[in-house]
Amino acid sequence: MQPFRNLNGTDFKEMFSVATGWLEKSVAEVNALNVFPVPDGDTGTNMLLTMHSALEEIKEADTASVSTVTRAMSHGALMGARGNSGVILSQILSGLAQGLENAEFCDGAAIARAFEQASKAAYKGVTNPVEGTILTVIKDVAKAAKTRALNGEGDLNLIMEEAVTAAGESVANTPTLLKVLREAGVVDAGGQGLYIILDGARRYLRGESEAMQFRKPQIISSAIPLAPVSFTSPENICDDEIPFGYCTNLLLKGQSLDADKITRRLEKKGESLVVVGDESTIRIHIHTLDPGGVISYLTTLGTLDNVNIQNMDEQHEDFLEMQKDKSPTGDVSLVAVVAGEGFAEVFTSLGVSQIVPGGQTMNPSTKDILQAVEKSGSDNIIILPNNKNIILAAEQTLKVSKKNIKVVPTKTMPQGVAALLAFDYDADFETNHRLMSEAIDTVKTIEITRAVRSTTINGMNIKRKQTIAILDGGIVAACNEPDRCLLDALAKAGAAGAEVITLYYGSDVEEAAAQSVAALINQDYPQLQMEVIKGGQQHYSYILSVE
Amino acid sequence: MVKIITDSTSDITRDLAKSIGVTVVPLTVFFGKESFLDRVEISTEEFYKRLVGDVFPTTTQPSPGVFAEVYNQLAEETSEILVLVISSKLSGTYQSAINATSMIKKKGVKIEVIDSRNTAMALGLLTIKAAEMAAAGASLEKVAAATRESIARVQPVMYFETLKYLAKGGRIGKAQGLVGSLLSIKPIVTLDDGEVAPLVRVRSKKAGLDYLYNFVAGHAGNIEGLAVEHATSPEDADALVERLAALFPKEKIVRSTVSPVLGTYMGPNVVGVFLLRGNKPG
Repeated sequence: MQPFRNLNGTDFKEMFSVATGWLEKSVAEVNALNVFPVPDGDTGTNMLLTMHSALEEIKEADTASVSTVTRAMSHGALMGARGNSGVILSQILSGLAQGLENAEFCDGAAIARAFEQASKAAYKGVTNPVEGTILTVIKDVAKAAKTRALNGEGDLNLIMEEAVTAAGESVANTPTLLKVLREAGVVDAGGQGLYIILDGARRYLRGESEAMQFRKPQIISSAIPLAPVSFTSPENICDDEIPFGYCTNLLLKGQSLDADKITRRLEKKGESLVVVGDESTIRIHIHTLDPGGVISYLTTLGTLDNVNIQNMDEQHEDFLEMQKDKSPTGDVSLVAVVAGEGFAEVFTSLGVSQIVPGGQTMNPSTKDILQAVEKSGSDNIIILPNNKNIILAAEQTLKVSKKNIKVVPTKTMPQGVAALLAFDYDADFETNHRLMSEAIDTVKTIEITRAVRSTTINGMNIKRKQTIAILDGGIVAACNEPDRCLLDALAKAGAAGAEVITLYYGSDVEEAAAQSVAALINQDYPQLQMEVIKGGQQHYSYILSVE
Repeated sequence: MVKIITDSTSDITRDLAKSIGVTVVPLTVFFGKESFLDRVEISTEEFYKRLVGDVFPTTTQPSPGVFAEVYNQLAEETSEILVLVISSKLSGTYQSAINATSMIKKKGVKIEVIDSRNTAMALGLLTIKAAEMAAAGASLEKVAAATRESIARVQPVMYFETLKYLAKGGRIGKAQGLVGSLLSIKPIVTLDDGEVAPLVRVRSKKAGLDYLYNFVAGHAGNIEGLAVEHATSPEDADALVERLAALFPKEKIVRSTVSPVLGTYMGPNVVGVFLLRGNKPG
């Protein structure tokens, strides 16, 4: 099949249909990219359905001229537009139709004009245009096509080639322009979708319609190194995870370039290697400690273009800064002294950014707590000591740190959890300190352990190694039968009037044993909401919170 | 008379819409490829019957074409239209409504489109207020100005059983920090500048409903509008209405259910109160 010089109405309709089919092949990939403006994973689907709606309309349309086809297309898209990206796509199509108004045929100059109209319509259709999206992509396409046309180029194919290349580069550049994309580690989904549609149209013009059946569209990779994907608060990022070295990006131009060979050669030189392109142009991206070595090797193969080398340690700083904004508790950092890895996870999951290991028989020093305070991302710190012997050490940090520190005097870990849950996202530092302090009394703590020596307390004769139950710091039961002890303590804690009991089991208790204790409690208090969590604490086989 | 248009996430029921003369443009909810016009082709009850297991429906805004049709219809009877829609941070409905304004055929029709930065009955209360003003003969300019001014005074407070649907649907917003807790907690969320934001976490439904009650009680003497909604547990919402009615016997409490499109993100067992504060500060 010969390439086209210009298009009539039927050609245009066919080109459009081929481009839609091309998009259809990558819907899932485009969906997976979607993070902006809402990450609901349907950008590809919405764009495709919008295209389908446009196609549906031109099925019956008069194909006598290009303009009748594009007008029908634009109307169909406008009626069937789905989602944000679909609406913008429909604006683009409507712009194309305006640009091709009264055109019988479409040649290079006409398509350049149409792209320009499309770009204008897209921006006009959005009240709050954001760069780094499909808008930027259509703008860059329009610019490239116009420049080429102004230079006297009238060939439709050449202009489309130029436009699609510009689209690809623009998509690769979207994470540079838009922070959410950088954070999520993806290029813009809508832009990618538009690239695929344009690429489909270009391939149709090249006469590749048949070959396209056996191929898939290319998903553009980002032009810049992308931040790690997962959500972590700044403090949780370990030093050893910091990416190091230089992010190196460049275009290699030459003849009979062999991407596989280059890949094999560069693999040993660094990480995150990307080598894409064809025999004449290859884009290379690598994280390396030795950018010089990479470049001297590549200069033996051809000429280099767009060389960009960045120090990633600095980028990492930016990343940390970025993560700070995402701290789940705003401008307040929470520090907690916690015993047991299970408890540490519970506290972290509730928004604590710094855990100081410690508790009964291993009280952390003021210095230990101070270190955690200084490492926290914020200047406003709330400390949960979670043990009566640690409150003082926590309060000492006020004297030695420049940060604003407040201590919520929690004496047990369940009190700490209750305080955390009272955190009000709408309230300021002072108010939160008050709310959290008030919450201490909303929970009763039972700790089950063994007596370390024989003694008499509160008229109870306690033998060494006997199970004892401690309710908010005071021994309330001592029994040979551990379960009895626990149930006695629950009765004294007023479990009959409570709503939720959380049973945290210690490092020496199996989950199955904890579950059967929970079942026992449930028999006595069927109305309670019962939760069993691994606390992983030492010394105490069980810690219960009664709320 | 100014005509008022809102979207189906305002949770203004068909009867209410009729009685206050408001046109409701539906969004669409999809189960796979099956599509339903929100509140028109699927009721809240039918929706939740299908929302079992790991089924995650999707939704979409009305197309500009749909809005344009409604505009053109209303343009036959009026020259002033106010369009009040769901927060643009949650849906593209606002975009569609704006785009459609250029598609009005009749000359001289004034249209004002407002991003309510809210949804559910928070949007509903604003719409009701706008409709009342329109019925009293206020001009488009006046109704629009009053509506814009009221936006800062409206607040939704919603008890969620799970954030699973919100996260899955990509509308989690600032409540991201509430996800991933190891304890089973029930989040109370609101909308802050148009996106979902956390308020507090509670351990039980009772504590959650108490929070809702106390939130409203805290505004005694300064209530202009009040609404209560449920998703699947009418008994919880009814009990809350009863408590609130005892406290505020003179207030009219609008009762509704969350629309299927909102249910897609809220999941089952949501209960919400929606307050339009009066003009007193605080």
